[in-house]
Amino acid sequence: MPSNFKNSTVKIDNEEKMAGLALFTDDLPAKDFLWCRPLRSNIACGRIRSINIPKLPKGYYYVDARDIVKENVVNIIFSDWPVFADRRVNYYGETIGLLIGPDKEVLEELARMSQVNYDEETPEYELVNSQIHKEFKKGDFEAAKKDYDYTLTETFETGYQEQVYLETQGMIMWLDGDKITIKASMQCPFYIKNAVVRTLGCDPSKVRVIQPAVGGAFGGKEHYPSMMAAQMATAIVKIKKPLKMIFDRGEDLMYTTKRHPSRTTYEGYVKEGKLVGVKATVRLNGGAYKGCSGVVLSRALIAVVDSYNVPNLDVTGDVYITNTMPTAAFRGFGSPQTIFAFEMFIEHIAKKAGLDPVEFKLAHLVEKGMVTAVSGKFHDDIILPQLVERAMEMSDFKRKYKEYSQPGSNRGIGLSTFLHGCGFTGSGESTIINAQLKLTKDENDIVHLYTSQVDFGQGNRTTLKKVVSNTLGIPEEQVTHEAPDTDHTLSTGPTAASRTMIIVGFLCEKAAKHLKEIWKPGEYQEWIEPYVGPDYIHWDEDTMQGDAYPGYAWGVNIIEVSFDPITYQIKVEGCWSTYDVGHAIDDRIVVGQADGGLAQAIGYGYLENMEVAEGRFRQKTLSDYIVPTAVDLPMMETELMDNLFAYGASGAKGCGELTFVGGAPALGHAIEQAIKHDIHKIPATPEYLMEVIEHGKY
Amino acid sequence: MENISFYVDDKEVIIDVDPSTRLLDVLRIKLHITGVKEGCGEGACGACSVIVDGVCYDSCLTPVANVIGKHITTIEGFRNTPQYRIIADAFADFGASQCGFCTPGMILNTYTLLKKNPHPTEEEVRVALSGNLCRCTGYNAIVKAVLDIAENGGDIEW
Amino acid sequence: MVKHYIPSTLKEALEVLDKHDCYIMAGGTDLMVVKHQRSGLIPNFDKDVCYISNLEELQYIFEDEKGVHIGAGTKFSDIEENELVPEILKQIIHELASPNIRNMATMAGNIANASPAGDSIVGLYLLDAELELVNINGSRMMPIKDFIFGVRKIHREKNELIKEIFIPHHDDLNTYWRKVGSRAAESISKITFAGGYEVENGKVKDLRMAFGSVSITCVRDRKTEEKYIGMSVEELHNHVEDIIKDMGKFVTPITDQRSTKEYRYKVAMNILKDFILTIE
Repeated sequence: MPSNFKNSTVKIDNEEKMAGLALFTDDLPAKDFLWCRPLRSNIACGRIRSINIPKLPKGYYYVDARDIVKENVVNIIFSDWPVFADRRVNYYGETIGLLIGPDKEVLEELARMSQVNYDEETPEYELVNSQIHKEFKKGDFEAAKKDYDYTLTETFETGYQEQVYLETQGMIMWLDGDKITIKASMQCPFYIKNAVVRTLGCDPSKVRVIQPAVGGAFGGKEHYPSMMAAQMATAIVKIKKPLKMIFDRGEDLMYTTKRHPSRTTYEGYVKEGKLVGVKATVRLNGGAYKGCSGVVLSRALIAVVDSYNVPNLDVTGDVYITNTMPTAAFRGFGSPQTIFAFEMFIEHIAKKAGLDPVEFKLAHLVEKGMVTAVSGKFHDDIILPQLVERAMEMSDFKRKYKEYSQPGSNRGIGLSTFLHGCGFTGSGESTIINAQLKLTKDENDIVHLYTSQVDFGQGNRTTLKKVVSNTLGIPEEQVTHEAPDTDHTLSTGPTAASRTMIIVGFLCEKAAKHLKEIWKPGEYQEWIEPYVGPDYIHWDEDTMQGDAYPGYAWGVNIIEVSFDPITYQIKVEGCWSTYDVGHAIDDRIVVGQADGGLAQAIGYGYLENMEVAEGRFRQKTLSDYIVPTAVDLPMMETELMDNLFAYGASGAKGCGELTFVGGAPALGHAIEQAIKHDIHKIPATPEYLMEVIEHGKY
Repeated sequence: MENISFYVDDKEVIIDVDPSTRLLDVLRIKLHITGVKEGCGEGACGACSVIVDGVCYDSCLTPVANVIGKHITTIEGFRNTPQYRIIADAFADFGASQCGFCTPGMILNTYTLLKKNPHPTEEEVRVALSGNLCRCTGYNAIVKAVLDIAENGGDIEW
Repeated sequence: MVKHYIPSTLKEALEVLDKHDCYIMAGGTDLMVVKHQRSGLIPNFDKDVCYISNLEELQYIFEDEKGVHIGAGTKFSDIEENELVPEILKQIIHELASPNIRNMATMAGNIANASPAGDSIVGLYLLDAELELVNINGSRMMPIKDFIFGVRKIHREKNELIKEIFIPHHDDLNTYWRKVGSRAAESISKITFAGGYEVENGKVKDLRMAFGSVSITCVRDRKTEEKYIGMSVEELHNHVEDIIKDMGKFVTPITDQRSTKEYRYKVAMNILKDFILTIE
């Protein structure tokens, strides 16, 4: 056992997963289930004139918008995405209906024979149609821009990113009496339940969602399973047969939600060695429907100057609707886009002012008590300087940075500092989510923990249980924590927004404390704990002003690369990270998040290229959409530093997204030093780097 | 359709099947060996790895006709061996399995590597596992676990 | 109705091919991708299939005074590990696809598939490999450069099978290999280059240059190479721009989901330059 994992325990589900015993959705017994095969639009935009389905053999069915029971919307934050396309399609691949039957081969043939006729309209792929707009100011930007020594305006682009959870989307659904029962690869069982209740208009007691083993999610299974559930529920009330829908990888790549591509412009002003004012214009491509894009934009804007203090800001952001696959949740949820852009910008403007970019940056780190970008306050201790110092020691940063700045070094090292707000924006945890946690104790004094948190690999079944056993002072074996079943657990909210530990972990701790107080051996006991957040958190979503999150986690990434001037290829040579996640409940699990988050961010930064042509993704397979293999990454070193948070379990904050947001900019800085040119775009593919180096392209 | 016979986890299997059927579908659908996973269906992720006569194959690209008479080991057979225990314990120690979907394939490829090369270098480990995609761990814990076995495993009979 | 033939000897296989127009299934790593429909469905073959993966007669590697003979059924991983195999082919195989696929796939399959991005083909062009094609009546030899004539286009008669790949000895040839993929492993090539040279008494005695993934087939031109044979190494270095110009005419890449034609062309030329300048 590695010596730095002293507080770690083996994950509850570890052995069953290694041994291949864990049952993922497609592994579940589903004899006599009928397959659902989506019929998808093959144009990007237009009115549906007619849908011609061939005569169906006995035992085969077709459902579409005409079968909607109550409401043809998927219950996502902004509910504009129809369950089935109704009279028009807005993106290539939009689901028009489901062909259903026992034999996949027959379904393929029926799909081939089905014909949808359209009146095609001209699709919009450019960022011109803003459907969500947000703006805010801090200080007096107009005054700051009148008095400066240096100014710089630059635009940065980030691309699509696909989650590539190893298990594709999948769902099975059956009727248990008159109750719709669902097992699926998911993140948020109650989102699925609510989506079914909404489209059917049924009583919530008629829908039950149970989580099987889930093979990765990363945000990609936050909303999309609600879509599948609403479609299948519409079918099941009509045909009353058990149903199964499993996506092949190609379908998953082409027809499920991705990270928002972005284009961000910064206009900055430096006076007497300080960045005194920044104007930011953030543009996100939301695809054909708004869905959760408004909240993604909020996060992008709140992180608009990353972990740096800029006194005067003028910030606007827009979500543009285009005729492309809708974009939605993905680890970081908007902040990786602006954190990449601002990290690059702050170094570029320092260079323009003739200052050392890293020193300049570090002189702007936010401190406790300072005003946030959205005019809230950093209430808690910030240990960024310590994190930076340790990461620099681990990586020998200063020596390497100097050495690699020499011409012809073909090597570079980059540092990023960053923050991530944990939990839902603002007071959303208290006002929207209203998590409630149930803890029971049976007659044998076994404690049962019920949450709606899905463990899709992060280990939260284990860590939340540990919080309870640690608090009660009983062995871990004396606590159970099963995968969520909406019939057995109250909603402790979605498994998203890095909220599991900071919110649900805190609930676990409080509930366990209360149970301890009333503990009577040999008796059944139950305790329900509602979430109460810090009372000093106030947020106004309309004006984008106030305290954006209950608490922040912090991190530093340092990445070293080498560059091959013959092929313009980058090789990642080293990664060093330090994080303040408050307190790690289990070091091994947190370091696992750190490793995986950074690996995914490195892929985002230079490998994972996904382009749209004529409204369709060009990378349709895992041979063309490139994620890192074991050979593309070096050993990564991570250290954690405690900085206890008063409203977290044993001081814990969040860590899932934090480990993603700083990777691309650290890599970007390293690449810039290695190639001796500034970059403005990720993924920084060799094709792009060639354009930058040979043709001075932006 | 044709009668095709081979061995899966030391048991003889005779099935009547189209010879071009993917070995993966035979294992998962006909034999209910769901420990073998489908991640991509095109030989790009390694989740469907099985051992065929001592070396790892992507079962999604293997027509069942190609394994006639051969010995196939899946995770469901391998998990009963002492070699599995050694690898699984190291994976557990280092946290090499997160969502677990790639893990059975990763373990089988680790085994065939160590059998051939009990003391691989880091580079050799990375190359040997380069066909097994993992999206959770960044491979860090996996590579460390394998190197730990290689270093501290002593003279294990692979 | 598509028929499947699983012969147990080479003779049986040739008899099948004599009577039926078949897809020839070796490791399956390409055909099974191309013909794949959906999970759980049998692949979509539109003509008969003949499986040769288990023919032990085709699994061999031996050497004679002329060169190395590789049986068509030999898997890439066995080729990579065999000491008789030229170093450059081992290098190529080491970076080809993934370990599992190297355990399954054959070099003959890579050749017959005739993809412009078939890595082993580039090395075989460089080494003037020849193929032995057999049918029920006998066999013939054909240089690989004549065998492949387009994207997935080969001069195989319907009743023929590649039996063997023959690689003439090149004991004095120094080789250079470069694969540019989208990542460090398990990638389909954007550009590949195999170079070879012999220098004797300061003079270039042999020069070979072969590109993959930058045209419909592997690019190699003996006439261009001969132009520079006989030069001193210094002269050769001085002519590097001419060589780039000469070879550049054959390099006609496309833009696709993996890369751009501009990148492929530029990097191909960068690699060529690097190769020429490393000759000493």
